[in-house]
Amino acid sequence: MTTTACSGPDNLHWEGGGTSRIPFAVYTDEQRHQRELDRFFYRGHWCYVGLEAEIPNPGDFKRTVVGERSVIMTRAADGQIHVVENVCAHRGMRFCRKRHGNTTEFVCPYHQWSYTPDGSLQGVPLRRGVRQDGKVNGGMPADFNPRDHGLTRLKVAVRGGVVFASFDHEVESLEDYMGSTILRYFDRLFNGRKLTILGYNRQRIPGNWKLMQENIKDPYHPGLLHTWFVTFGLWRADNKSELRMDAHHRHAAMISTRGSMGQASGQAAQVTQVSSFKESMQLEDPRFLDIVPEPWWQLDDKVPTAVMTTLFPSVIFQQQVNSVSTRHIQPDGHGAFDFVWTHFGFEDDSPEMTERRLRQANLFGPAGFVSADDGEVIEFSQQAFDSKPQHRALAELGGREVGETDHMVTETLIRGMYEYWRKVMEAPEHTAEVQP
Amino acid sequence: MSNWIDVAAEADLFEGAGIAVTPCGHDIALFSVEGQVFATDNQCTHGPAKLCDGFIEGTEIECPFHQGRFDLRTGAATLEPASKPIKVWPVKVEAGRVLLDLG
Repeated sequence: MTTTACSGPDNLHWEGGGTSRIPFAVYTDEQRHQRELDRFFYRGHWCYVGLEAEIPNPGDFKRTVVGERSVIMTRAADGQIHVVENVCAHRGMRFCRKRHGNTTEFVCPYHQWSYTPDGSLQGVPLRRGVRQDGKVNGGMPADFNPRDHGLTRLKVAVRGGVVFASFDHEVESLEDYMGSTILRYFDRLFNGRKLTILGYNRQRIPGNWKLMQENIKDPYHPGLLHTWFVTFGLWRADNKSELRMDAHHRHAAMISTRGSMGQASGQAAQVTQVSSFKESMQLEDPRFLDIVPEPWWQLDDKVPTAVMTTLFPSVIFQQQVNSVSTRHIQPDGHGAFDFVWTHFGFEDDSPEMTERRLRQANLFGPAGFVSADDGEVIEFSQQAFDSKPQHRALAELGGREVGETDHMVTETLIRGMYEYWRKVMEAPEHTAEVQP
Repeated sequence: MSNWIDVAAEADLFEGAGIAVTPCGHDIALFSVEGQVFATDNQCTHGPAKLCDGFIEGTEIECPFHQGRFDLRTGAATLEPASKPIKVWPVKVEAGRVLLDLG
């Protein structure tokens, strides 16, 4: 076996030199985690912050995060969307506590510094001092200019009703960031129709944030782990499918097309080569699988019934038949992340379609018939990583190389993600941004 | 119906800032600008600040907390973040005393 010495600040040992054997230590080291935040979340990348439909009116805001930094997505009086950091310019306090709201200003409770929704500092208590016995005491220095002390503003990009932000104002355009391949699948889902918010799921998963990206870059597990899919016929390992990536291999789309327009076939034996021990099981309420094909599913000559798009590092865009959602990955240390699901629909949905999307959303989220499994396996994986960080995981299904495929029997997307991860993490400090 | 009440001596006022008076439980600020006296509600309509501690700019009072401004003659909010007007009270000076009409 060959070993390749790593250059740069990240000196992990990658068995075989490629990315098919992933050191457990990528998931366990706090210092490495800090470098990931710096290089993936705070520099050179776009992060998901929310949907325009969450803040439809002037003054609306939503508190969320970029990486581990608290930010607020706001809509100013002129309708413009801003993303500002939730850190008071004075003493650094996270002043905004509400998750959602409507306001004309943000006031830090500590010293009541006041900011407009676009992050401008509008007033500072006792700026000109306090008058006492005919003389003015204290106050800010004469050269204190409120314009110099607004909130940190992030660069904002909005496409198809989805809002992204970056602390890095030199970041490439959102479109270049996604790349043409991924952009097609993004635009298929977010094709200009106004979105409606159906609801949220929030969960804390005690595992490294990358495991969630890997989970949705892994078409190997759904037909094996998710017995619900298998039992009720929503997944076949031999579905017509494609795996696509951007040029950097950091983003991906898993596209799968079931015959008969996404209808579940019902019988486990017809669904997977893996036999189900629960073949006789029936849904008490079959409406969970009341699938109705939609015109927007069509892309060129294909009509995918499920497209799972991973946008590195922060978000997953889900279409599983009629259930559509964004899944926001919010790291909290190397060993945990919050996973926030925003279930949405479209303004032109009929009431029946809205009901259908809501019913199918039961498959997802922390207690979802399918997604509950993922939270658990990520937790149990992390437990093992922490107990022997010198070991490594294996991702060699479909080979050791990275490339797009027209089948699902491969872990190529995980290898691709780590190819990009290594490029960024192993770069010397001054070239950490490997943007083209 | 007028209800003029003696609230302060004219000599208590000074240029550039205000003083607080509280006739009949009303929290009112008095200002003297180039010999002319103004009376307004003392409480800022924006934040929990007293306008008597503010700074006079021309015929406007600047709130000491967030630098919102109000016109002393009309009570109108003239600079953000102030947006709601403050109440102005009829005021006159007679024989060295400041009188307010509390209605």
